[in-house]
Amino acid sequence: MGSEITVTGPKALFQIGPIIITNTMVTSWVIMAIIACVCMYLTRNLKVKPDSKRQIIAEKIVLMVYELIDGTMGKKWRHFAPYIAGLFAYSFFCSMSSLVGVKAPTGDLSIIIGMATITFIMIQVVNIKYKGFVGSLKRFAEPVPLILPLNLISEVATPVSMTFRHFGNIAAGGVITTLLYAALAGLSSVILKIIPVAFIQSIPIFQVGLPALLSIYFDVFTSFLQAYIFCMLTMVYVSGAAE
Amino acid sequence: MPNTTFELVSFVPWTLIFTWCNLFILFLIMKKLLFKPVLKVLEKRQNEIDTMYDTANTASEKAKELEKEYSMKLAAANEQAGEIVKNAQAQAHRKENEILEQAREKATVMTERAHAEIEQEKKKVYEEIKGEIADISVSIASKMVEREINAKDHEALISQFIENVGEVK
Repeated sequence: MGSEITVTGPKALFQIGPIIITNTMVTSWVIMAIIACVCMYLTRNLKVKPDSKRQIIAEKIVLMVYELIDGTMGKKWRHFAPYIAGLFAYSFFCSMSSLVGVKAPTGDLSIIIGMATITFIMIQVVNIKYKGFVGSLKRFAEPVPLILPLNLISEVATPVSMTFRHFGNIAAGGVITTLLYAALAGLSSVILKIIPVAFIQSIPIFQVGLPALLSIYFDVFTSFLQAYIFCMLTMVYVSGAAE
Repeated sequence: MPNTTFELVSFVPWTLIFTWCNLFILFLIMKKLLFKPVLKVLEKRQNEIDTMYDTANTASEKAKELEKEYSMKLAAANEQAGEIVKNAQAQAHRKENEILEQAREKATVMTERAHAEIEQEKKKVYEEIKGEIADISVSIASKMVEREINAKDHEALISQFIENVGEVK
């Protein structure tokens, strides 16, 4: 076990011309494919009188997203539901993918920036749509023009804080998991030194069990929470932009 | 550039662009593969429920109408039955009266006839008695005069006497 522990970002897998494809990108494509397959599976031969658990789950998901939208944005924003559902599924399953040992795409800053910029663009578009171009600019000088710089900063701070919150949580989870694995491997090798067989010494016995418990928090709970927070903030900011 | 590992906090512009595309595609996936079919089936179900409610309402209205109609018909039938019974009673009464009347008439006729017969009988008996009395008178008279009276000679006399007696009576 080396004493140097490195925690890295995404890895470039291959390059087509100027386009760099990273491992996180490939993971997120796989996840999207899985999401698409799950959707197709859930909605396969739907009946007016449901006779399968599949259909009940599919209907429950749709109605839950609608309830969430109705509660936070209002009924007139229901056309947002597929995006929110997609965003949630993307964030959640990308974070969860660290459970199978790949680098979580949500631990890649570029992907989170991508998610947050869409929210930011949506806020601006909704603002312009509801207040007109001039009206949407006027809101920065309200209630007094003096506050303009602060308003501009807070506008930019919205996507930045969303990015850092999501990225920070998932990346930190990854860092802690890496450190924990290294520490447990070190502990095993120290304790197993009593047995003078090189093969046995190399078995990181303490890596069994404890990381699994921690990953319930860092992977499952944090994944859900961050996905939920990100979607919630998107909904609140976008519907707030219309007021 | 393959197999380059980026820093933990690093920014790859292509990943950003791909993420935008990914989210857009995911939005389409959710819309076309999950929301659209589920909403379609939910709408269909709602329509079916509405239709069922409509049918139920129509049926109950129809049932109410039928009930009304039948109760009306029943009332009419009851009335008719009452009328029939009343008519029958009236007819029976009339018939009864007729029969009674006939019987009474018949009785009267019979009584009259009986009276007439009695009268006739009476007359006959009276005639007979008259004859007998005449005979008896003749025999009494003959005994009284102790000689034979020619019955034929005195008969006229006696009958005159008896007639006088009858008139007196």
